[in-house]
Amino acid sequence: MADNPEAIYGAIRKIKLIGWLLAVFTVITVALSYVELASHSWNIIVGMIVATFKASLVALIFMHLNHEAKLVYKILAFTVAFALALFILFYFSNTDPLVYKDF
Amino acid sequence: MSAAHTQNNDHGHDHHEPGFIGKYVFSTDHKVIGIQYAITGLLFLLFGFFLMLLMRWSIAYPGQPIPGFDLVSKVPVLGWLFNEMIGRWAPGGVVNGELYNMLGAMHGTIMVFLGIVPLGFAGFVNFVMPLQIGTIDMAFPRLNMWSYWLFFVSGVGMLASFFLGTGSVQTGWTMYSPLASTTGLAVTNVWMHGHTWWLLSMVFNISASLLGSVNVITTLINLRAKGLTWMRMPFFCWAMFIVAFLLLLAFPPLEVAALLQFSDRVFGSSFFLPTGLMEGGQHLDISGGGSPLLYQHLFWFLAHPEVYVLILPAFAILAEVIPANTRRPLWGYKAMVYAGLTLGFLSFLVWAHHMYLTGMGTMMSTYFQITTVLISVPSVILLTGLMISLYGGSIRFTPQMLFASAFLPMFGIGGLTGLPLAFTFIDLALHDTYYVIGHFHYVVAPGTIFALFAGVYHWYPKATGRVMNDFLGKLHFWPSLVGMNLIFAPMFIQGMGGFHRRWYDGGKYFEQTHSASNWFTELTSKFFGLFGMDVPNNLLGLNVLMTFGAVILMLGQVPFILNFWLSVKGGKKVKNDNPWDCTTLEWATPTPPPHGNFTFDIVAVRGPYEYSVPGMKQDYFPQWESEPGKAAEPASVNTKVVPTPHH
Amino acid sequence: MDIPYTVTARPDTGLYNAKVGIWLFLASEVMLFGGLFSSYIFLRVGADYPWPVHELGVTLGFINTLVLIFSSVTVLLAWANLKLRNIAKYKLYLFITILCAGTFMVIKSIEYRAKFKHYSVTLTDGTILTGHLPHGYTIEFGEVKSLSLTVAGKTAAIDADPVRHVVPWIKGELPKFKTESGNLISLDATSFQQLKNEAKQKATEKAKNDGLKEIPNWTIKLVPEKSLTFVLPPSQLLSRPQPGATAISFRDGTTAEGIMINDKMILEADAVDLRATPDKVKSIAWNEHYLGSAWKKVFIEKRDHAIAEFNERYSDGKGGTTRDPSKSATHQKHMFYFKLDAEDHDKTDSHTGSPHKAEASVPSHDAEANSGHQHPTVVLDRKDIQFFSNFTPKLNSYYAIYFTLTGLHGLHVIAGALVLAYFLFCNNKMMRDDPERLANRVEVGGLFWHFVDLVWIFLFPLLYLL
Repeated sequence: MADNPEAIYGAIRKIKLIGWLLAVFTVITVALSYVELASHSWNIIVGMIVATFKASLVALIFMHLNHEAKLVYKILAFTVAFALALFILFYFSNTDPLVYKDF
Repeated sequence: MSAAHTQNNDHGHDHHEPGFIGKYVFSTDHKVIGIQYAITGLLFLLFGFFLMLLMRWSIAYPGQPIPGFDLVSKVPVLGWLFNEMIGRWAPGGVVNGELYNMLGAMHGTIMVFLGIVPLGFAGFVNFVMPLQIGTIDMAFPRLNMWSYWLFFVSGVGMLASFFLGTGSVQTGWTMYSPLASTTGLAVTNVWMHGHTWWLLSMVFNISASLLGSVNVITTLINLRAKGLTWMRMPFFCWAMFIVAFLLLLAFPPLEVAALLQFSDRVFGSSFFLPTGLMEGGQHLDISGGGSPLLYQHLFWFLAHPEVYVLILPAFAILAEVIPANTRRPLWGYKAMVYAGLTLGFLSFLVWAHHMYLTGMGTMMSTYFQITTVLISVPSVILLTGLMISLYGGSIRFTPQMLFASAFLPMFGIGGLTGLPLAFTFIDLALHDTYYVIGHFHYVVAPGTIFALFAGVYHWYPKATGRVMNDFLGKLHFWPSLVGMNLIFAPMFIQGMGGFHRRWYDGGKYFEQTHSASNWFTELTSKFFGLFGMDVPNNLLGLNVLMTFGAVILMLGQVPFILNFWLSVKGGKKVKNDNPWDCTTLEWATPTPPPHGNFTFDIVAVRGPYEYSVPGMKQDYFPQWESEPGKAAEPASVNTKVVPTPHH
Repeated sequence: MDIPYTVTARPDTGLYNAKVGIWLFLASEVMLFGGLFSSYIFLRVGADYPWPVHELGVTLGFINTLVLIFSSVTVLLAWANLKLRNIAKYKLYLFITILCAGTFMVIKSIEYRAKFKHYSVTLTDGTILTGHLPHGYTIEFGEVKSLSLTVAGKTAAIDADPVRHVVPWIKGELPKFKTESGNLISLDATSFQQLKNEAKQKATEKAKNDGLKEIPNWTIKLVPEKSLTFVLPPSQLLSRPQPGATAISFRDGTTAEGIMINDKMILEADAVDLRATPDKVKSIAWNEHYLGSAWKKVFIEKRDHAIAEFNERYSDGKGGTTRDPSKSATHQKHMFYFKLDAEDHDKTDSHTGSPHKAEASVPSHDAEANSGHQHPTVVLDRKDIQFFSNFTPKLNSYYAIYFTLTGLHGLHVIAGALVLAYFLFCNNKMMRDDPERLANRVEVGGLFWHFVDLVWIFLFPLLYLL
């Protein structure tokens, strides 16, 4: 990462800003959870979108994934793909869309 | 890199020499750790095999005492161990259902997690891989030591569970809930329970695997010698690279499964227990709301990639053994690399084909049937590459080549018998029968284990400086081949006859098993009749044949054990550092390699399999030589340097 | 002998070894938490009870989120200051980070503690009462005339050990016991060992005489001088006794025959949940010797109020509602779940015209108030209890996954803090000799720390809010 002092001072300012942003979005998450949307599923979807946004801030800025070596992206791409496969397939093993309801 | 290397050459011997314990017990040297893994793994394979012999006896002769039981019990130390572990569960030497269940569960666990993975992956990768990529050690040597000792603790935990009051775990190596969540909980102390110890040992084992695979991948990524580009890397390293990724990403969900099952048993939660579950006509004192299906998903998310963890090291070893013994380049190196990567990727997306019988839904079944059929394509490419590599070669039939050539048809049988199981409609009939047992044992027993033997014979001279005896090697090979086939081939017949995999009596008390017969059972019956043995002409008779095969297999291992230990001091000394005339970098080191491995700054200047290059006098052209007999200069290698990303 | 690329990056990958290593390790951590989160999805989608929403203390969770975010910032500042060689600041920020980890764990343990003390009881008709057990939950089993102990012939899962598993639960003074041979002994470690040795000897003799292949189990009968009474939590028994049980077996296999004197549970109820009760108005909870009709009246009033509110809020102007009330989990909760607070009860009393509301004789006044609230005490019959547990993994799959996820996350917090503490306190030599290498270490440790933060960013809404 950055090695010259100016860049590091710049980074420190950015880090503090992101810290405040994360705190603000935490308040937003809590507040949103008390608003009744069209259905509770929508609450979950909106809550997860905000959480994902916060997580991306942490991953991109704090873990400086916004400028990392290519190799790290390759490793993470596969990992995320497999983790998503877990989520999706686990979800569908409880809610089978191809069930023949007429039987 | 070169700076570091020059420094090694100058100051490598200034180091304080570590004592015996630092050198051979708590060593951080990758070669010692590799050998530690290999020997521990071999011992566990032997122990797992011994458990299997007891099971086979019970299957062929249910209710009859194990031969030699009283004799073994009376041997001073061994007898005590035997009695405390196994004997006390077998009154009068007869294996009962309880003991059979323990043996079955532990046979699977030990073979998979404590035998083949430590030997095939950890042992070989630790010893061979850093040499093959031309580096001085693994990227994190101390972590490497830790992962061996964590693995060791897990092994000791598994073995120790035999000594507990409850005996070891009894619910099959798959530990399916709800049975595995609820059985045997009425004990004085749930912490001193074989099942609890199994789960905790697995947590240790998984941690060891994770640390090991992080180390392997980092080493392969960052420590390759100058000039050793990805596509100059031997297939061995590629395959191990893929295996390490499988371990890294597939093991954590199993850790989750183990932790959740642990919570179910010790804290009384209901992760895997459905609402209203009853046992013995009574509702259990649980909240319910969980699902056994969840356990199976988490378990098979690991356990299917685990199949490739078991088989890829075999391909890795054979990709080195076959070219060296046919004196021909590996056929389709690039295709094999890409096939291996595809195989690794797809292996994460096929797990639920083990679960067709759970009724998990039409969409899931359809999806998993498709991916399962897809994954057979890269598997076939790998096998085909090895087979075509034989064509036109001038084959040296060393013991390692014998094992390698037997692997090809054996793995072929194992793989092809698996294809029908990919389809739900066939799987529904064959699920949990001996057909499945036969299928996966053909893949891992005469498949992977044969490849592991080939690897032992192949790299033994590098580790010890001596060659294993050729005659004993052949004496090891032939009985093993015959024994393996006698055990596993009849399983297909029994399986299609409906024999269930968990019958401790081999099906004796089921009426239907007595009536089915065919030409094979008739042959078996007549064959044993020649020796005056009364073997019935039905599917049950095959049990005797298989047990007979197991005994042949057991006898076949005696020459190997002798050969392995006696050759350390008594084997023929190698004529030079490269006794098999190989091309890869591990053969450039002194024999055995010293701490730090290489005596000169090694670089790679060509691909890994340059055998029988047209127009050359010798039939191999090592990776590290610029011209025959002369090591390439580091300065001559012009690697493309990618600038470091700037921040 | 030095491994290459421990400090500087390898040119073609752009990474030093530890950085490759930590990213691989984090990849496997993603799969670990991926497995847990997918279990969460699986359990939630398949749950056959209303999934708790906003049931945990949101304030504590919120504070913990801020603590973790703050520590993520400080660990980065520590790294930046080390890069700038501001050693004092580096140390300060790293110390603050570790302090944050400690704060997080303290808050977490406060949350856990409250749950261990809080109980939930499911009655046979599905009604759930939650509350505290001011006296714990013990059963009383008496009129025990003899104990029968089983000494195992071989190493076994259950082997008689009455000194540890039976004697501690005897009510009153420990009497002397008469053995089969007529001796009078006090049941302590030495005398039991003697008894056990005798039993083993007899068993061995029997095996020899009868030609048995193994030594059989041997049963010892002990007769106390006066009949015994046991007082113990049911978890100390091999299985939870059924109502009216006439025998119990302790965890060491010792059995006692007698009469169940008392297996009632005294619950200081703080809430009632009728969502799973088929007929809410006829719930067992309204029995006169439980909550009684006064509370039933409170319930009906609250339910009708919730319905009216719902109809008003989602009125479509044509007499119907824009939302299906049977599909609104929030509405279900408003209707059928309510906190038992004596103030409500008093209010209804005043509403109905009772002149002495403060002195009104309501059950709630019997119990000592816990936290300013006053809760009614109910004495539950064993036969009415289907299932009970404190708020631990046993209670339901929500609390099971809550404890597993947060517990594992907590372990990661502890591990991360230990690693950072190691850098702070044990790496002073490296800080002087090779600060660049230490900066690499702190960067790698920081990456792990951010990952822990990242997991919490998902955990907090999933468990506390949604």
